[in-house]
Amino acid sequence: MAYQGTPSYSGVPASQYSDWIHRVGAYLIETLPALIVFYIFVFAVRVAILDIIVYLAFLGYVIYNRWILGGQGQSIGKKVLGMMLLSEETGQPIGTLNAFLRDICHIVDSIICYVGYLFPLWDAKRQTLADKIMKTVVVPAQQ
Amino acid sequence: MLMFLLVRRTVIIRRMYSVPENITMFSAGAAAVGAVYPMIMAHTGGHGLPCPLRSLTGVPCPFCGLTTATVALTHGEWGTAAKTSPLAYLVAILAVATAPVLVARLFGLAPLPRRASDPTRRRISRVMIVIVALSWLFQLRRYGFV
Repeated sequence: MAYQGTPSYSGVPASQYSDWIHRVGAYLIETLPALIVFYIFVFAVRVAILDIIVYLAFLGYVIYNRWILGGQGQSIGKKVLGMMLLSEETGQPIGTLNAFLRDICHIVDSIICYVGYLFPLWDAKRQTLADKIMKTVVVPAQQ
Repeated sequence: MLMFLLVRRTVIIRRMYSVPENITMFSAGAAAVGAVYPMIMAHTGGHGLPCPLRSLTGVPCPFCGLTTATVALTHGEWGTAAKTSPLAYLVAILAVATAPVLVARLFGLAPLPRRASDPTRRRISRVMIVIVALSWLFQLRRYGFV
């Protein structure tokens, strides 16, 4: 039988953690369009004053999407693909500050040549190193 | 086709995929990006994903060259890909070999993936360690460190 006897969070069996490819997909959905707009303005339009506005807009987008919405459980990408970012211990969203700190912890995932981002492929709770540090999990959203 | 995919979206999200299938899907995306990568890089002047180890110390990591090799593979430059990163070839072979299983699963024709047994997982881990070590040796040689 699939995934019997594996660790659980709040009674949810390990097979209910979101797949790695879904997390990649969510990240691409919420990042690619913004990046494309960013690159168009910075590299194609090339108007200096617009550059500053675009950088600030991108920063505002990150703050809103990854920390405010992410802290509430669902950034845009996770909402589209039906996943939630929750605390491993409480089963609740982690809040804006913790979402920000979790993104800082992604430095750990990146510094070892991005291998930390591959951890969900084989980890029992499908966590990145940042997830392990912040004790978060990504699970399919309840219908 | 789009309506079919939209209607089945929830089922696809809930569906579990094995690790090779995850890698196959990622490889398909990487191949798509690789195909247009030179066009993007020509306009932005970038050189791909920077390697933290190489940026900080100059020493390459086992995964250096994957971007270049992926672009080469998607443009049919087989020799360049092999000389840059044989690891890209291994991943590509895994992706191509797993693709039929993935397609079957997307159409609901394959059973749920089964978690590999602990001895099997240990064997796979040992093989992966050897492969990564060999790739690292290859990159160190490519950059003139050995």
